Amino acid sequence: MIRVQGLSKHYGSHIALDDVTLNVPVGAVYGLVGPNGAGKTTLLSILAGLRAPTSGEATIDAPHTRTAVLPDAPRFDRWLTAREVVELAAHLAGQTDEAAVVRVIQGAGLAHAADRAVGGFSRGMLQRLGIAAALVGDPVVVLLDEPAAALDPAGRREVLDLVRDMRGAATVVFSSHILSDVQAVSDTVGILHEGRLRYEGRVAELLDQAAETAYIVAVRGDATTVASGLEPEPWVEGATVEADGVLRVAVTSLSDAEQHLVPALAALRATVVSVEPEAVTLEQAFLEMTS
Amino acid sequence: MTLWRLELLRLTRSRRLLALMVVYVFFGATGPFLARYLGEIVEQFGTDVVVQFPTPVPADGIAQYTSNANQIGLLVAVIVAAGGLVIDAIPEMSVFLRTRVDAVSDLLTPRLVMSFSAIAAAFLAGLAFAWYETAILLGGLSIDGMLAGAAFALVYLAFVVALVAAIGSRSGSVLTTVAVSIVVLLVLPVLGIAEALGRWLPSHLLGALDTMLRTSESATEYLPATVVTVALTAVLIWLATRWAATQEL
Repeated sequence: MIRVQGLSKHYGSHIALDDVTLNVPVGAVYGLVGPNGAGKTTLLSILAGLRAPTSGEATIDAPHTRTAVLPDAPRFDRWLTAREVVELAAHLAGQTDEAAVVRVIQGAGLAHAADRAVGGFSRGMLQRLGIAAALVGDPVVVLLDEPAAALDPAGRREVLDLVRDMRGAATVVFSSHILSDVQAVSDTVGILHEGRLRYEGRVAELLDQAAETAYIVAVRGDATTVASGLEPEPWVEGATVEADGVLRVAVTSLSDAEQHLVPALAALRATVVSVEPEAVTLEQAFLEMTS
Repeated sequence: MTLWRLELLRLTRSRRLLALMVVYVFFGATGPFLARYLGEIVEQFGTDVVVQFPTPVPADGIAQYTSNANQIGLLVAVIVAAGGLVIDAIPEMSVFLRTRVDAVSDLLTPRLVMSFSAIAAAFLAGLAFAWYETAILLGGLSIDGMLAGAAFALVYLAFVVALVAAIGSRSGSVLTTVAVSIVVLLVLPVLGIAEALGRWLPSHLLGALDTMLRTSESATEYLPATVVTVALTAVLIWLATRWAATQEL
């Protein structure tokens, strides 16, 4: 459906993309992550046909009427109403089902503002309108550039829910520098850094690879004393106080920790609030990969 | 909602059509009045300087209109045209449309046609006012001369719209497009001072209406400029489409 092979893009001496190859599973929500300037927007723009590659190939095996593109800050002629924007998108996508316009406007939570001029819309409303316009043609490929970047938490959640709902119905490539967003909605991830693809695969596999064997222990009272008490243990690689009453215990193996950690805490007479294996976030995995 | 309706709404809801109409109709209404009463108006100032005005003739009424229409009217027309024809002026809006059409000409064609139609309608509305008022204040005008002169003016306006489209596709900026277009439109009459060159330039058509009302000059006098203007208009539209198609966002 989406083919990106050996893609490079140079702006003068600046290399925005360097030999990038993506494997985007059909029907997946593919998260394209990376810091600002990593090349995400350039890649999506080339895929959308808005920029030409310097070399390589980027193609979408779907008619343009079934491909939807949403820029990071969608804007529309301010004198159009939300309904007219979606009607125009429906017409251009060849959508003949008039009910589809109403359906996507309602789905985007804009039914109350459907007949208002978009000039008065907030950033979040414009974003949702952009998604409604993208979805009205029943696209099979959706390219979303930072769709939730500048939204408040509630707006971001709504947009992410809309993206998540597309899974299976369309192949979605979704770029973001907010890694928790990608982790929340994507099943496959590609990490771009300085124009190069550093990792591509399933999110769960990435987190497994990045996982360190460590426990987070929360205690009442002085965590420093507990950390000092754990340090000499042969199965402990390091114990550090992360926050008030919270310490991170790096261990030689999780099975060692399961066997020895709780007895060791009891021996130290620590008042334990919680003990849990450290969860690795996409952000930590990303930082580890790009640092 | 089609791209044609979008352009119609752009003209009406953004009040661009209204601005064009107000400007051209204002000049159409005031031109013949000034031509008829300029002498009396100047006398009212009561200065010691005596200014002798020739007795106004009907062609003066139209000349007053075309003089203003070809200056301030044309400036407004260029601004309005640039507002619609620079399709990449706001890239986020451009993305919405560019990614939904087969070819950029699908976007450009309605904009070219609607922009020209609005400017032409405003020019003709102003001309109609000027003609009516001239007939009342100064006397009748040659119908053949009016129609032929108006036709030449419309050919020139089509060239202006195409010029704005080409510059707009190349620059991607409304401000730059307006500035460069105005410079080009100002330079053309200057080049036209050279008589051998002048009758071939689009700017030669600007004087057609006035000349055809005052003299018995045949319309064939304007044939070379018309042919060149039509050819340039076609080339500019081709360039506008080509440049817009290769413009990266």
